[in-house]
Amino acid sequence: MGKVFKYTLIDLARNRFVLGYALLMLALSQGLFLLEDDPMKAMLSLVQVVLALVPLIALVFTVVYLYDIQEFTQLLAVQPIARQSILGGQLLALATALLVAQGFGLGLPLLVHAPGPSALMLSLSGSALVLVFAALGALIALRQREKARGVGMALVLWLGFVLVYDAMLMWLMFTTSDYPVEPFVVPLAALNPIDLARILVMLEIDLAAMMGYSGAVYKSFFGSAAGMAMAGAILISWVLMPTWGAFRVFRKKDL
Amino acid sequence: MRTLLLLLVVLAIVAPARALTWMHRGGGDPTLKNLLLSAAPGDTIVIEGTVAEGALVIEKRLTLWGRPGAVIDGLNEDDALLVKADSVEVRGLTFRNPRRSNLDDKAGLKVANCTGARIVGNHFDHCFFAIYLSGAKGALVQGNTVQGRPGEEESMANGIHLWKCSAARILDNWVEYHRDGIYFEFVTGSTIERNTTMHNLRYGLHFMFSNNDAYMDNHFERNGAGVAVMFSKQIVMKRNHFLANRGASAYGLLLKEINDGEISDNEFVDNTTGIMVDGCNRLEVRSNTFRSNGWALRLFANATGSSFRGNTFAGNTFDLSTNGSLMLNTVEGNYWDRYTGYDLDRDGTGDVPHRPLGFFTLLVERQPYAMVFSRSLFVALLDRAERLLPSLTPEAMKDDRPRMRPPGTTAKVEKPAGTVMARRSVPSSMLFAWLLLACSMPYFAAHG
Repeated sequence: MGKVFKYTLIDLARNRFVLGYALLMLALSQGLFLLEDDPMKAMLSLVQVVLALVPLIALVFTVVYLYDIQEFTQLLAVQPIARQSILGGQLLALATALLVAQGFGLGLPLLVHAPGPSALMLSLSGSALVLVFAALGALIALRQREKARGVGMALVLWLGFVLVYDAMLMWLMFTTSDYPVEPFVVPLAALNPIDLARILVMLEIDLAAMMGYSGAVYKSFFGSAAGMAMAGAILISWVLMPTWGAFRVFRKKDL
Repeated sequence: MRTLLLLLVVLAIVAPARALTWMHRGGGDPTLKNLLLSAAPGDTIVIEGTVAEGALVIEKRLTLWGRPGAVIDGLNEDDALLVKADSVEVRGLTFRNPRRSNLDDKAGLKVANCTGARIVGNHFDHCFFAIYLSGAKGALVQGNTVQGRPGEEESMANGIHLWKCSAARILDNWVEYHRDGIYFEFVTGSTIERNTTMHNLRYGLHFMFSNNDAYMDNHFERNGAGVAVMFSKQIVMKRNHFLANRGASAYGLLLKEINDGEISDNEFVDNTTGIMVDGCNRLEVRSNTFRSNGWALRLFANATGSSFRGNTFAGNTFDLSTNGSLMLNTVEGNYWDRYTGYDLDRDGTGDVPHRPLGFFTLLVERQPYAMVFSRSLFVALLDRAERLLPSLTPEAMKDDRPRMRPPGTTAKVEKPAGTVMARRSVPSSMLFAWLLLACSMPYFAAHG
């Protein structure tokens, strides 16, 4: 697994897309911080960018990359290497490359311009989103033989997480507003990793509003140690479950 | 004979008995109670050490002066000190242990039905009511510290309590851990300046039925429900700081049924709601700063004839919210950090109106739990759409002359060398607007 990890990482380091991703994030965050007078405002714009863009890029890049190295994977598979090690090394390298790129493009400017708990929370949840969507991307790429369909599925999945889920939840909330179902909205929203990441960041940034009538519910839910542990558990299971699925598919897959 | 009599009268008027100064050491003889009875009007009593004689009453014009460390202990009997005479001065004393009673309000120092009391530089340690002025005219309360204990606010009454007073001056006091910090009921023509009230259970400052008062340069922080001004007319509120008053029903400033008030140059930071305006008429809200609040301004539809000019709204989750479609107030010439318009003629005001009320604001007003969608992409798109083509938000709810820069900053901001010049345009929001337009093109093409 170590060798696969190493060579995949070297390949990724030369990949223009990863470099481009790092530079894009750097340009975005640096630009926002320089153009806005108020670092807090830049941070808020950055939150929206990160929450929408990071999952998209992690998802699409993982899918595309895994299709691209298919031949290399086949080559590895004929060697006396366990399939688990092949996929494990590749996924680990992918995650490492994306995290490093993101740390450079997002973490560094945050550290320079707005150090503090909200910056930390933003980088942490950004990293969690990278892992979650890389795992989902791996599952899609391994289940779907055709590259075009895989990328299409990735896009649909992204749209679902970033827009459709919220829209459905909001619709649900308003159609059932005659019943006391509101408290269920928080856990339901938390099931979506993007929403969960957003709520975690908002609890740091919009603290004043979050202390309001309804926000107090979220604060008590996520502010406590148990809530934090739960948020962490949800994010980790969002990483582990698709990864496990990917391994299961890959083990039996006819390459 | 007649001349002699006249001379005597003149002498009696011109040269009254000289005022005496008495020293009293706590526990000494005669007791302070006796001294208060035997002293002549105009005398001064200097107090040292701890006086533990229970409830004391002053019924003539005296000055009570505490040396450092002087304490009046009420022994839970009644008001620790009750002042019933005009022009009494109480200075430099520490008060403790008045009787706790919710039936008859007992205080560390109560001033009842008299004129010109001066309460200066005292300390109130964990008193039920600390300073209680009832029917007092022209009282001065200055430089006192009033402290309850953390965790015991429930059993505390108000710090500085005024009932049916006029021309009072409440200056430079510090009130902490009480029920209300400063409470005004039926108080007229009074000023409250440079006080600090923090960590009070209910309101830092509470006005009820009090007209023609002013409060300036005060600091209100982390009070359970902020500051409330209710059912009062002609109140002036200037240069106060409202900080971190957080909670479901906490307000930096809660205004209910206020007529002709003036609110200017205040600072609202980190409150759940900066100002809540409920049923107010002809308010003038000018040059205030709202920063990092949950809701900067909640303007209910039952407010009329009020104007909001020259305020700065920056970094708030919601700048403005309302509960109806009626809008009979003027919102003009404010600075909104969310404003995305342009200023082609460079006169400092934006060329297109700003609509501070977003779709999401209305959504949360109707369904508070929708707060969970705060700043999600979906909501951002809906918000942007609503601002471009308002359909749900009241048409009149807009600022026709939004400022490009916060008031007080000039057009040419001098920045230290090496930093990039500040620019007003907001690239991300422009991006969103274009994205939305681009996305909606096929729709318009298909349905237009």
